[in-house]
Amino acid sequence: MIVSKLFKKTLLIIIAIFIVIAMTIAISTGWNIYRDLTQEYKSKGTAIAKSIANSSVETLLNRDAATIQAMIDQFLEIVGVSYVFVLDSQGEIISHTFVPNVPEEIYALGTKKTRAIFISDVNLFNKGDFIDIEAPVLEGTVGYVHVGMDKGIIMSQMGTAMVRQLSLLSAIFLFSIVLIYTLMNKISQPLNTLTEYARRLASHDFSSPVNIQSTDEIGLLANTMTSLATDLNEVFERYEQAINDAIVELQHTLVYLTAVIDNMADGLLVTDTDGVINHVNPALTTMFALKETDMIGKNCKDIFGPGFAELLGKTRMHTDQVFTSEVKLAQGRTGKAVATGIHQDVLQSGYGDLGSVILIRDITSEKEVDRMKTDFISTVSHELRTPLTSVLGFTGIIKSKLESMVFPHIDIDGNDKLEKEIRRIRHNLETILSEGERLTALINDVLDISKLEAGKVEWKMEKVMLADIIDRAVSATASLFEQKKILFIRDIQYNLPFVIADRDKMIQVMINLLSNAVKFTEKGSVTCRVRQEEDEVIVSLIDTGRGISDGDREIIFEKFKQAGDTLTDKPTGTGLGLPICKQIIEFHGGRIWVKSKPEKGSIFSFSLLLKKPEEPDMTDVYSSAGAAGEVAREKQ
Amino acid sequence: MPKILIVDDDSLIRELLLQVLEPFEENGVTLLSAQNGVIAVEVINKELPDMVFLDVMMPKMNGFEVCRIVKSTAALKDIYIVMLTAKGQEVDKQNATAAGVDYYITKPFNISEIIKKVNEVLNMNVS
Repeated sequence: MIVSKLFKKTLLIIIAIFIVIAMTIAISTGWNIYRDLTQEYKSKGTAIAKSIANSSVETLLNRDAATIQAMIDQFLEIVGVSYVFVLDSQGEIISHTFVPNVPEEIYALGTKKTRAIFISDVNLFNKGDFIDIEAPVLEGTVGYVHVGMDKGIIMSQMGTAMVRQLSLLSAIFLFSIVLIYTLMNKISQPLNTLTEYARRLASHDFSSPVNIQSTDEIGLLANTMTSLATDLNEVFERYEQAINDAIVELQHTLVYLTAVIDNMADGLLVTDTDGVINHVNPALTTMFALKETDMIGKNCKDIFGPGFAELLGKTRMHTDQVFTSEVKLAQGRTGKAVATGIHQDVLQSGYGDLGSVILIRDITSEKEVDRMKTDFISTVSHELRTPLTSVLGFTGIIKSKLESMVFPHIDIDGNDKLEKEIRRIRHNLETILSEGERLTALINDVLDISKLEAGKVEWKMEKVMLADIIDRAVSATASLFEQKKILFIRDIQYNLPFVIADRDKMIQVMINLLSNAVKFTEKGSVTCRVRQEEDEVIVSLIDTGRGISDGDREIIFEKFKQAGDTLTDKPTGTGLGLPICKQIIEFHGGRIWVKSKPEKGSIFSFSLLLKKPEEPDMTDVYSSAGAAGEVAREKQ
Repeated sequence: MPKILIVDDDSLIRELLLQVLEPFEENGVTLLSAQNGVIAVEVINKELPDMVFLDVMMPKMNGFEVCRIVKSTAALKDIYIVMLTAKGQEVDKQNATAAGVDYYITKPFNISEIIKKVNEVLNMNVS
């Protein structure tokens, strides 16, 4: 049986109220009955007592106890009369109805000897409470009559009446409860059904409709809910379908992406921000001859050594940059690691720094090709030197012989044509010599850059003072400054700390930059300014030359690209000076850049880290030559 | 009188050096030449030159070997050896030092540098 909570609560209140009301009514009724019966018994007793008193005057005077006894015995039959006794004027009991003896309390009661009726309450031991009515016989001169009315009957009648009344009230109450329950059930049953239905809806069970046929508000509510459920069911089904479709699509995408990653020729390694590996692809496991289970969940540092951790550290520090480095693979092979931070817009995705991703490509064959290329270039450059030596040497001899032994003996007096020819010969010989020297420089630079690119340069990293390097480079280029009457301004910050660098290579960089500055400056000065900025030193060469156009600024650090119009301008360099500088500076962990305004001048600057640059001794993973290729570039 | 030996497998280089050093010849210096290491060692032993211009890359015996032989022979070790080497080849520089080369000049060389060096070694003043 379902009893609504509302009914239960109401029932408790009703029962409480009923108990209070029923008790009040019963007590009030009991009290009325008690009062009425007491009054009635008093009147009755008084009448009996008076009657006995009136009719017993003579008998009493004669002290005829037997007659009195017979008379009072008959009064005992009247309902409510418990005892009767008669006293003489002295208070002596003449007759009584007590069996067997007169109780002690009656003696103690005595007589009031009043001339009127006297009523009092008496309690007789073992017999209960009584109303005692004393009536004088001839105003007490003859004696007194006492009639005892039983109070127990009053109490019993009062109790019976109260029980009856309570029973009746209870019956009415119970009947009312049943009636209320039936009525409430009739109302709450559809409500319960609706509640149950709403509960089913809440748990997305739209299978069975609610069955309420009534036309009242509840019926209306049921209909609305059914219609709502139908709509909801449709919406849910639609969304469920959409979600299922999305899941299927997502699974397909995931399978596709996994297939792409698993079939990549390059090794893929994904780590979290702590360097713990959480994804590798089959290519990577093959490259390092390790099992996937040996790597997942482990720290990169423990698996691949500190070099790798260092590379990851860089991606953590600069999430927007790409870092590359060479790594040693299994079976003596070499790989190139390209590492970058996994970074997302916090606002868009809720994630910021997610870790690092490293792609590793097996470059063993490329390295071999590079080595062969370098060897080839080395051989070619060597082979070119011999004929070049002859060309330059013999030209030099011709020039000196002509100047010392031939031209002085030619009489050009008045012969303009001859004089012009001699001038032309001199000029042509100078051209052969200068172009030969340029060719030599080109061969040297090609050799340098191919070695730098192949990582075959042996670096001698040591503590060096930048001022020493600059002074060495300045003295090597002093003749260039003198030739063009260009002023050199030395502006080096006092008390600069030393840097860790390759002395010869840094001198090469400075000579390159200084000779470039002089080459493209017709008048004015070249200033070398060195300043410490936080943890790096910035070296700037500021010239007052012709400057570089915007387009040229982009390409001058590329190989064989020179500023200016190469169709009309006579090339004056090898086109490799700045690319060589770039390679050297970047090996040192620095940057090289240029700021320029056409016709105003250029500022070539490079930076060097003051702290010890990352050593190339990357245990286990990094080859000693590897770090040469380690560069950072901005993400495209 | 002083003697200078020129060792190179390339006849043009030999010819060039002979012409460059011609002013010294005019001042009494004897110029000798050899086209490979083996002949060079023979000439050195026979003629005891004061100075040798020695090419590195030569057939039969290379310049380093010649240098090593010269520097390890007591009678010859004072001979001043100028190695003619290709620029930038670090290995060559190391080998040259190990072999006991006194000086090295990279190809293509500067004529004035050669003349300056000879003047210095032979204690002469020829221009």
